[in-house]
Amino acid sequence: MKSLLDTVKGPWYIAVYTWREGLRRKTLVGFLILSLLVIFGATFMTSFINQATVGDVTTDMDLKLIKDICVTTISIFGILITIFISASVVPTEIENRVIYTVLSKPVRRFQYLFGKFLGIQLIIIMNLCLMGGLFFIALYIKQQILPTLLLWSVFLTYFEFLIVSALTFAVACASSSSVLPTIAGLFIYITGSLTEYLKDVYNRSGQTGEWLDSLIGYIAYILWNVLPNLQRFSLKTQIINSQPNDPPTDVLIPQLVIYGLIYAVCGYILAYWIFRKREV
Amino acid sequence: MSDKKINILLLILFVLFAGLGTYQGRRVEFYRECEAFYRWILAIGTQERLFQTSEGEQKTEKFVDLKLFDRVSEKAIPILQSEERVPGNIDNTLSYRENFANIIGDISNDPIIWKLTLRKEMDELRKEFLKSLREYKIEFSRNINYAEAQESGVNIFNLFFGFRKIAASLIWLEVDRYWHQGLLYRMVPLMRTCVTLDPNFVEAYLIGAWHLAYNATAKLIDTPQHLKKWNPKYKACVGEKETFYYLAIDFLKKGIRHNPRDYKLYFDLGFAIYKNKMNDYPNAVRYLTEAVRVPHERWVRRQLYICQELNDQYEEALQGWEDYKKRFPDNPVAPRFILRNQGKIYEKKAQELIKEAEEINDEQLKTEKITEANNLKKQAKEIWKKLSSEESDPYGDYRLLLMDAMDLYNEGRYLESIAVLDKARWESPSNFDEASDLIIKIKQEANLPLTISEKKSVLRKSEGDRCQGMPEDIPNSG
Repeated sequence: MKSLLDTVKGPWYIAVYTWREGLRRKTLVGFLILSLLVIFGATFMTSFINQATVGDVTTDMDLKLIKDICVTTISIFGILITIFISASVVPTEIENRVIYTVLSKPVRRFQYLFGKFLGIQLIIIMNLCLMGGLFFIALYIKQQILPTLLLWSVFLTYFEFLIVSALTFAVACASSSSVLPTIAGLFIYITGSLTEYLKDVYNRSGQTGEWLDSLIGYIAYILWNVLPNLQRFSLKTQIINSQPNDPPTDVLIPQLVIYGLIYAVCGYILAYWIFRKREV
Repeated sequence: MSDKKINILLLILFVLFAGLGTYQGRRVEFYRECEAFYRWILAIGTQERLFQTSEGEQKTEKFVDLKLFDRVSEKAIPILQSEERVPGNIDNTLSYRENFANIIGDISNDPIIWKLTLRKEMDELRKEFLKSLREYKIEFSRNINYAEAQESGVNIFNLFFGFRKIAASLIWLEVDRYWHQGLLYRMVPLMRTCVTLDPNFVEAYLIGAWHLAYNATAKLIDTPQHLKKWNPKYKACVGEKETFYYLAIDFLKKGIRHNPRDYKLYFDLGFAIYKNKMNDYPNAVRYLTEAVRVPHERWVRRQLYICQELNDQYEEALQGWEDYKKRFPDNPVAPRFILRNQGKIYEKKAQELIKEAEEINDEQLKTEKITEANNLKKQAKEIWKKLSSEESDPYGDYRLLLMDAMDLYNEGRYLESIAVLDKARWESPSNFDEASDLIIKIKQEANLPLTISEKKSVLRKSEGDRCQGMPEDIPNSG
């Protein structure tokens, strides 16, 4: 029992340390402040738009604008923060040689890496909570009803970030500088968002009847199946303006959560595999 | 454990989770496909149930929505019947398509339809739907990202951060700017762009239709009936104002197809356009009935009952108001409208009895009927008095005067009847036209001289409801 507790304690301390360190990063704080300003600005800006009354219905134009601007802001700044933090945590420690001090302690590489990954997730969650929280308050003030669908949207956004974070973290474990993993993170995000194209390639393949055409189609089909598809998380923008108790949404949310978790584990295994081979 | 073994273990774990990810991805994909199929079923079901009669069959050969919907219905109804999921909704006298459209119309059946789309029996039809979607053969499914991605490959704007929705919002700000500048002609294409970018932008449909039906027509004058042109699409005589009304109707109908579960669109179509602008009460009742079938605000029902009253559906209106009063006992409006409908029901029954009495030869039976009718009239008068005294509604006074005037008219005291009607129309200005028409009718019957405005009114009516290009087989413009 004691050894199990020690196994958990170590990564937790590292996670908390990573989180604190993340709070000190000026770039991250800058992104966060900027996003909060945009969310606040959206609320401020829309207060100048008069609500139109059509028949007896008061339309919620301002509400719609707040929702669209805030969801976009959370996505843009959230993904930047995710990529930046996931790409920089391990390389910075290697660069600063802090890693040697930590690994010389009775901490296994698995625990160290798990702690770092956990710390990254804490930072992402904290940022999402701050941005989502402000968005939540802005919406609540405007509509006087708890915007529960927004919580689901932010919740799904986190699992999208989790996939990008895990895969970027894996690349970061192979690098000693944070520049390459940051570029790789952006690439992962773009590729993940474009995976749907591969299905389109598959659907259009085989039209010429040439074997190369069919081969490209099959490769595209395999890649489309194996690569994480971030387009599937588009539900997060869909539900924000939809009606509650929508049967497909109720089914899709848990499915997407599982999807995000599986690819996160995949990314973490890859990260550990790369990291344990590194000579540190 | 040796290094090699750990590597193999990690490799196995990686492959295992990658495989799990693939499997889960396929599951999510399956649900997304089902979702696209489900939303298309809702859209085409709404189209079939509400607009099919007004717009006719899908004319464009390219689209296969209706054919596919027929096949889906043929498969769905036996499944639902065999499992007794919706026994109350299935009417054996109707076709599969109509039955299925009626089931779709009930929001409480949404989970059943969703489960239906997940079934193995639907696999083939779902695949055919997706194939048609990719071949641009589906007209009514552009409202979810998945369907769009299937239809047009992948849209870059759609992929990154949901830019499309924000673009739609920003374009809407431009529409608002044009509105304040009075540049109405610039607004219409931008409004269409907005809803193309974001088909779930309900406010854009609402405000767009409002601009078209109200603001665009504010300075237009009524087109005389004989100058209006027959429009085969709308099956109506259309003048300048009506053109904008029908544009607004089309815009709202488009919104309803994309958002069949939003009451605001039905409400605006029924109340703001059909009732307020076109005085088309049957259609107003139709769409307001749809509005109350989905989650709605409490005042939506009130407008439905008012329209039912205007459409001479007094019994339904009375039942509705009584139910409304039970639900919201604090509502000050309900008692007034309950009295109004009660009074009208008595009057209607009395008129029916008099009509029946006129057709009967048996004197005793005739007298009985007339006595019964007079009793009903008395009861109606009591109600109108109550409405006037307790609810301070001028409509009560108006109806009392109207009934008195009609009694005088029946006794042949035309001048007195006209005098009472003249008083009545000034008591309740909202019923001015009704009372004026009655005055003209009495004057014509009694061979009394008409005023200039009355002569004009008679002349206008004598021109009839015909307009340019109206087919001969249609008696009036409707």
